[in-house]
Amino acid sequence: MNKTKILLNGLIKENPTFVLLLGMCPTLGTTTSAMGGLGMGLSTLFVLICSNVVISMVKSIIPDKVRIPAFIVIIATFVTILQLCMQAYLPELYATLGLFIPLIVVNCILLGRAEAFAAKHTPGESFFDGLGIGLGFTVALTLLGCVREFLGTGHIFGRPIYPEEYGSLIFILAPGAFIVLGFLIAIIHSIKTR
Amino acid sequence: MLWSLTLITAIAGGLLGYTYQLTEEPIARASKASREKAIQQVIPTYDNSPLDEQMTYTVHNEYGETTATIYPAKLGGKLAGAAVECSNNTGYGGEIRIIVGFEADGTIKDYQVLKHQETPGLGAKMGDWFRTDKNNQSIIGKSPEECNFHVTKDSGDIDAITAATITSRAFLAAVRTAYAAYTESLKGGNHE
Amino acid sequence: MELTVSPAPHIHGRLSASQCMYSVIIALLPAFAVSLYFFGVGALIVTLTSILSCVVVEYLIQKFLLKVKPTIGDGSAILTGLLLGFNLPSNLPVWIVIIGSIAAIGITKMAFGGLGNNLFNPALVGRVFLLISFPTYMTQWPVPSASRWSYTDAETGATLLSKLKEEGSQWVSQVNISDLWIGNQGGSLGEVGAIALLIGFAFLLYRRIISWHIPVSILATVFVFSFALGLGEELSAQASGAWQHAFDFALIQLLSGGLLLGAIYMATDYVTSPMTSRGMIIYGIGIGILTVVIRQWGGYPEGVSFAILIMNAFTPLINNYVKPKRFGRA
Repeated sequence: MNKTKILLNGLIKENPTFVLLLGMCPTLGTTTSAMGGLGMGLSTLFVLICSNVVISMVKSIIPDKVRIPAFIVIIATFVTILQLCMQAYLPELYATLGLFIPLIVVNCILLGRAEAFAAKHTPGESFFDGLGIGLGFTVALTLLGCVREFLGTGHIFGRPIYPEEYGSLIFILAPGAFIVLGFLIAIIHSIKTR
Repeated sequence: MLWSLTLITAIAGGLLGYTYQLTEEPIARASKASREKAIQQVIPTYDNSPLDEQMTYTVHNEYGETTATIYPAKLGGKLAGAAVECSNNTGYGGEIRIIVGFEADGTIKDYQVLKHQETPGLGAKMGDWFRTDKNNQSIIGKSPEECNFHVTKDSGDIDAITAATITSRAFLAAVRTAYAAYTESLKGGNHE
Repeated sequence: MELTVSPAPHIHGRLSASQCMYSVIIALLPAFAVSLYFFGVGALIVTLTSILSCVVVEYLIQKFLLKVKPTIGDGSAILTGLLLGFNLPSNLPVWIVIIGSIAAIGITKMAFGGLGNNLFNPALVGRVFLLISFPTYMTQWPVPSASRWSYTDAETGATLLSKLKEEGSQWVSQVNISDLWIGNQGGSLGEVGAIALLIGFAFLLYRRIISWHIPVSILATVFVFSFALGLGEELSAQASGAWQHAFDFALIQLLSGGLLLGAIYMATDYVTSPMTSRGMIIYGIGIGILTVVIRQWGGYPEGVSFAILIMNAFTPLINNYVKPKRFGRA
């Protein structure tokens, strides 16, 4: 299978956020700022690539009956490693993302890719699938975070664009997350179908 | 089946144990650094190590028992004030955890909000509101000794955050608790 | 030729959609007069801005984004703007009113497909959007008739409902109920004059624009529920005059806040309310209960707008389960 095609498939055609609508909990929860979205996207990217590669390497030794628990153990291992490293070396990012890092374990994108892709392809292809899907997720979350931060507080990546008091708070709260996500999906759909 | 699962979990366990060992020390260092930074911000002048001399004191008041952590700041062996960390559970979103720096005479030097779940744009403004020198908002430079640390609506001397009275009440209650912990622990004489 | 495809029943009403819209606008004029009297120039600026920006936003979206023929002449955007303005404090800066109009028309109405397709009442979404977005501005209510020429610098105070919430129901005895009837109270600019709102209600009933089911079931539910709450509180305190007190408490709940405005003009919106009379009563009782629950135990002092929006979401479900009777025999 063509590697570029796999990469673009995850990034655009099957974008986990805008097309598949997977992993909505971290999508809505961490995108109150562009930085939060980017951090969450990169964290998921890391775990996704690692778990995809490892799962596709060990797929032949795992009996079919216990593949889901085995996949979860592998994913959870990488998530915990990430959590410990982030706590140690990026304590400030960890403070903002906090609860959502351990929740990557139950993000359906990871188990979904393990089941749908990594369990049927070579490690090399799985790497590119993880990269594509992970980048698609990262781009989507960062975009969502930028728009919400801009409309909500007048900042982008913490840089002020217009005075904060003119920002509509709803955008950094949960209802605003749904509104922005809905409009982004609509815009991207209309660009794609044009 | 048994073997492959055992193998996977054993490798995962080993990997995690190794990472844990590797990161244990940096994590402890990072959490100590952030605490130290908070203390530094609220009570800047000391030459001892407040973190090593910390003690806890339990305050009994209308909110029940609250355990406060006191970090004494000393200059040349003499008590120059303290940073007191404590919390109050009556905020709009539950717990509000703050650290307040007192000078030796009980005047508030500065404060930091460590943890809260108040509404953004309303209660969440408490981090700046109570240090802004406008009307009777600020608590900096005041002492709960001579100033009534209640919101003006409850006939106190401090202006509540606009449209966030509940948060303001909880915040000021936490400050009063911190002050009580500071003065009472001094009276108890267990700060040496 | 243009064909209209729509589900049954296909009965032609006496009035067209735009005639209905303009009748509702006429019905709101007495309340607007009350508002001009008590809040002065601020009420005028906020209402006009709201109407104008709703119409402009609808026009721009239809003309340039959807590229269809603008339908601003049907009066629905004017009505949305008027109702949105009525739900705002009269000292709200113009730019916030415009953001509210964009939320009302852009997000709630046009994004769902325009008039007839929206799930939620546009004016109420606009109000709630602003309440969540600009809580400081949206909870500073001008004091009525303090100074009619002041706008954003008007003297502000709390509404009755927030006082009741903060200071408890013993406050009831200090309320002058006749002030509530004429509109001498703090609040959104169009919600204060009970008599004026009821005159509009009578007009709408007379013109048969709306039926009595929704407003009456909402108001009755709120009254009975509040009366029971007030009575329960008084009886447990064993105070004398408990019945009178509970009656006053329930009456204040009925006349203050946005209840009358919401029950008569917003909950009855054709698009977002159930079609059958039985459905309307279920919907009304739901709004009444939610309103009292939010007022009594919720985080906000006023809950009418949230209650109506929540029941808007239930409208398709109610329509699905409470079907109209079939015409003719099987």
